[in-house]
Amino acid sequence: MSVLAMSNIQKSFGSNHVLKDISFHVDKGDVVSIIGPSGSGKSTLLRCATFLETIDSGTITYDGRNAAETVSGKAVYAKNLNDFRHIFGLVFQNFNLFPHYSVLKNMMDAPVSVLHRNKSEVRDECMALLEKMDLAGKADAYPCELSGGQQQRVSIVRALAMKPEILFFDEPTSALDPELTGEVLKVIKQLADEKMTMVIVTHEMPFARAVSDRVVFMDKGVVVEQGRPEELFGQTQNERTKQFLQNYSNT
Amino acid sequence: MTLINIIIKMSEGLEKTCAIFFLTLLFAIPLGMIVALLRGSKFKIISSIARVYISVLRGTPLMLQLIAVTYGPYYLFGISVSRNKLIPVVIAFTINYAAYFAEIYRSGIDSMPVGQYEAAQVLGYTKTQTFFKIILPQVIRRILPSLTNEIVTLVKDTSMAFTVSYQEMFTIGKQIANSQTSFVPFVVAGVFYYVFNAIVGFVMGRVEKKMSYYKI
Amino acid sequence: MKKRVIALILAALIASLTFSLAGCGKSGVDVPVPAEKAKVFTMGIDPEYPPFSYLGDDGEYTGFDVDVCKAVCDYLGWEFKVFGVNWDQKLVQLDSNECDCVWSCMTILDSMKEAGYIISRPYFDNEQVLLVKADSGFKSSADLAGKDVAVQLGTSGESLLNEDLKDLADSFGKVVTCDSFLKCFTELEGNAVDAVFVDRPVADSYVAEHEGFVIIDEDLGAEQYGIAFRSGDEELCSQVEGAIDALVADGTYAQIAAKYTDIDEGNLIFLK
Repeated sequence: MSVLAMSNIQKSFGSNHVLKDISFHVDKGDVVSIIGPSGSGKSTLLRCATFLETIDSGTITYDGRNAAETVSGKAVYAKNLNDFRHIFGLVFQNFNLFPHYSVLKNMMDAPVSVLHRNKSEVRDECMALLEKMDLAGKADAYPCELSGGQQQRVSIVRALAMKPEILFFDEPTSALDPELTGEVLKVIKQLADEKMTMVIVTHEMPFARAVSDRVVFMDKGVVVEQGRPEELFGQTQNERTKQFLQNYSNT
Repeated sequence: MTLINIIIKMSEGLEKTCAIFFLTLLFAIPLGMIVALLRGSKFKIISSIARVYISVLRGTPLMLQLIAVTYGPYYLFGISVSRNKLIPVVIAFTINYAAYFAEIYRSGIDSMPVGQYEAAQVLGYTKTQTFFKIILPQVIRRILPSLTNEIVTLVKDTSMAFTVSYQEMFTIGKQIANSQTSFVPFVVAGVFYYVFNAIVGFVMGRVEKKMSYYKI
Repeated sequence: MKKRVIALILAALIASLTFSLAGCGKSGVDVPVPAEKAKVFTMGIDPEYPPFSYLGDDGEYTGFDVDVCKAVCDYLGWEFKVFGVNWDQKLVQLDSNECDCVWSCMTILDSMKEAGYIISRPYFDNEQVLLVKADSGFKSSADLAGKDVAVQLGTSGESLLNEDLKDLADSFGKVVTCDSFLKCFTELEGNAVDAVFVDRPVADSYVAEHEGFVIIDEDLGAEQYGIAFRSGDEELCSQVEGAIDALVADGTYAQIAAKYTDIDEGNLIFLK
């Protein structure tokens, strides 16, 4: 069974038709990369999957339960959306850490005050996660005291602290200086090795090729092509995919 | 009357000046937040009412509002004028300052990056949790300097209570000045206000420093 | 005199800081206005003091004091002007040349003469009275023990309650000082106080125009009104006094008095 299934998703911002009948699914343990030019709709797709944008029509299903479905042409969302939010985590391009909370508090607050879990249990888990990510020394630091790469790693562990079944990444390295992307990509790779279910919107082509089980190429609001990374990067027959990858390697 | 006597006499009024100051802060700070939230309401009628409230209270003199609150109920409905003038004075100051505070809160809330709301939403925080745990603490940090400004103004504005015959420090100063044909009470009043504001500045400075453990 | 010098230094300081007055740099005492050049004569009044000085229905200042001053200016060939003073700051405003005299039911106090101001001959016998609501049942000042009484800030009534009538003031529950006499009456009307301590002619005029108020018939303080000039303006004072004498002699003064029926002619000293 798919962790996430999105089918026939339509989304417009005014007259701008951003997502045109997109269907897309992620199975447990899958690492899916979404690539495509700017404005292709890949970030919007992620924001629709995480309910930051509402879809116009289509179906969003998590673990076989409908979070959104279409009734007489219009999308209707489930009442208990917060229950669905516990299934996924999202890592933002700009980290969006809470600046007034320490690293540990950033991680602990949601499990404690949203999931009402035991505080000392959560603390132990979070400390273990920080240990694993080489951030244990930063537990009491505030986000402003960290480098961009460290901040993004903290935002990843903050999402992991909620124990999501699926983790979304919205261009996780785009806001970072090139020399800082490596540490973040390393963490994502580590998670992939642990069979974490992930969807990654990225411009890092070599990384997408190395880490993904499946790559989705989007352009102008449609999925142009999807498949195993070696197929898509190596021997695509699709002209648009070819052109995009070529432009990309040129720049 | 010696300088010491003048200071002692005026200190008696200082108690009332402090009463206006602290009670106004006590009520106007939360009321301003309510007005700010109503102004940001999705319902057009509610946000319009809040907008008109702010515009009227900021667009008319505090002195007029003091007179309106104190004597208005009598002229309009025949309700007796309050013998304890502290009540109408604090009401007038509160509704006036709530309007100013509301605008400050609004600007602080508007300056919050949308990413903070989105991060909280994705983590499953409720709207109330998001506001009180994530947004409000950061807003307070951002608006503290403007809030300090407004509080300093409030200290000086307390002298306006004399228009409705509330015997605060400045009114007593005027009475002494008048009976003694002397300007010493005005100088004393100036020193009182200056010291009061120096204390306000010191306290707010400490609060700001305490909150600046993180960068925005 | 020393006190006065300090007061003047502070006046200049406070005036420049607080009142932001234009051209207040020179002190009125050091530069007396020569009478022959005083083409413009500015009368300082409390603009809320009917029937002596108030804003008339036509939007012009009027009242007994104002009319007499107008006649004086006509007589002397001066241009007449009115300046509404802040009553509790009247002498400061006189010193800072905002007006050339204070002429508005001003009670003559010894402290004014001691401070060097030139005060004209008294023109009105006044007394301080208590005004109460007719249905209150108060018949004497003793009935007001423990009750609240309003008085205007800066009036002789206020000084009386602070000094000569201190015992009476202490018997009251509270003395509320208002910044205009109209507010005193509003407080009384609105039941915030039980009586107003005020000059007899003002009380007379109020009772004549408003129903439901009575004056307690009890003389609490006799006093006289006069006109205040800056120190050094003896010349100006005697010119004005001379003009008033002439107006009394030719009957103009009596005509003006007749216009104001609320004013008891028996109290007008020049007509006695």
